[in-house]
Amino acid sequence: MKTRRTSLTVVLAALCLFVGGARAELVIIGHHGGPDTITPQQVKDIYLNRSSRLPDGQRVVAFQLPAGNSMRDEFNELITERNDAWLKSFWSRQVLTGKGHPPREVSSANSMKSVVSSTLGSIGYLDSTLVDDSVKVLLTPEP
Amino acid sequence: MKTYFRVAPLALAISAGGAVAQSNDEAVAQMQQQLNSMQQQLNSVKNDRVRFNGFFSTGYSRASNDVGFTGVSEDSSVGDQSLLALQGTFDVTEKSQAVMQLVGRGYEDWEPVIEWAYLSHRPTNNLQLRAGKMRLPFFMYSDSLEVGYSQPWARPPQSVYGPIESTSYVGADATYTINLDNSAITTQAFTGFNDQNTRSATTEFRNLIGSTVSWTDYLWTVRAVAVTTEATVEATRLAERAASFGIQLPPGTTTLADSDRANFFGVGFSYDDGTWQVISEVTRSEVDGRFTDTDSAYISAGRRFGSWTPYLAIGWSETQDDDERTGEFLPTVPEAILNTRRDEYSVGTRWDITPGVAIKMDVTHVRGFEDAPGGLNQDYVLVNEKNSTNVYTLKLDSAF
Repeated sequence: MKTRRTSLTVVLAALCLFVGGARAELVIIGHHGGPDTITPQQVKDIYLNRSSRLPDGQRVVAFQLPAGNSMRDEFNELITERNDAWLKSFWSRQVLTGKGHPPREVSSANSMKSVVSSTLGSIGYLDSTLVDDSVKVLLTPEP
Repeated sequence: MKTYFRVAPLALAISAGGAVAQSNDEAVAQMQQQLNSMQQQLNSVKNDRVRFNGFFSTGYSRASNDVGFTGVSEDSSVGDQSLLALQGTFDVTEKSQAVMQLVGRGYEDWEPVIEWAYLSHRPTNNLQLRAGKMRLPFFMYSDSLEVGYSQPWARPPQSVYGPIESTSYVGADATYTINLDNSAITTQAFTGFNDQNTRSATTEFRNLIGSTVSWTDYLWTVRAVAVTTEATVEATRLAERAASFGIQLPPGTTTLADSDRANFFGVGFSYDDGTWQVISEVTRSEVDGRFTDTDSAYISAGRRFGSWTPYLAIGWSETQDDDERTGEFLPTVPEAILNTRRDEYSVGTRWDITPGVAIKMDVTHVRGFEDAPGGLNQDYVLVNEKNSTNVYTLKLDSAF
């Protein structure tokens, strides 16, 4: 009986894990040659033009998904805490005053993965279910 | 025979792929990925070296009378508020870039003017050196003065942004940024000169030296600026008006300042948490001699509701040296026509239709100028005893 309860618990836990793993969750990804972890604040600094370097000192190349992508909305909510209209206005001012350029926009989650895996110093974000070995997960932001 | 050899490896490849369907899919996915990344690399190489951006504004304003606040009267034209700018950023090396901005304005018959042309160099991550033609950093929004899209208002508060018409200079600056824990201090020193024809005067600044200091924690920003120069101001509009009445002015009559010491001071703060945006600036400009010393201030507050950002702004400006202007330019034209005083109240909204395009609606009420209508349509104000005006503005701003 005891064993049975334990096994039930294990099954439930595994189920939970499985369900949790399969849920589309935002993850911050980077190139394999970059740092192993990054804090939400460091990601925010990079995406709001406050920092041009990764925590390990490398010059960063940031990428973002196109407007309307649900992961971009999630990223804005959890990391930048700014909406698209604010960001567009902010970046227009940065660009037109020579202070910097916005993260490069990639067309899809697939191209996000391929460009992050092939660009040294890259950082990007993706739906956790689409992550594979080609990129490194640096952070899973907590809602 | 030849054909067979050519076909054989291909057939082999196909059959090998077909044998394991899954690895075929994987191979395709991998190739797709490689293609994507190659494409991206091509794009990034292309994007890295040269980038083009720009901004565009157009709009229509109408005033309740002909007092002429910001040049708007009862019949205005769309062209007055229209401008188109193109900016190119060229990466010279990893640490250096050349930036050029061309602006064509409706009220200048779309004649393109080079507003920015500078080389910038970053010897270290914290230091930026620039040389060329740049914006004069008098105000918090000087750098993006004409980029309506990056501003919350239909037009920058005229109490502060209106009196000084010179907007750029030729020279050099150095900007040093100290990054603290989640905040930054930026100091900038600049020097140069300026020759500019504005709507009402030609101005010359010589031996211009100035500095700005700002601190931000990315929520609050506090900024201070001080500038000193030798200013020469020639009132071309006054001369034109005299000429239109057939009056021959004696030489020097329209020279409002002649290599006179001029100082400018300003402090400002802003707050922006993504929802609320509060901005305020207080400025003082002093020019030796009969040209005006002006104190100005404004405060504005806006709140974002999704794509709508309504705002309120109040502003004030007043000349501080009216007692020095006791003489006259001409027997019927006293120096006191330069005296200025007014209060401005604006209510408006920004509406972000789509990222990159915003529409703004604004009503600005101006009053308190009846005794000192400098910069306004004085004849009209005095003859008609006007003491207030309303300016209605509908504006479209875009950045790309």
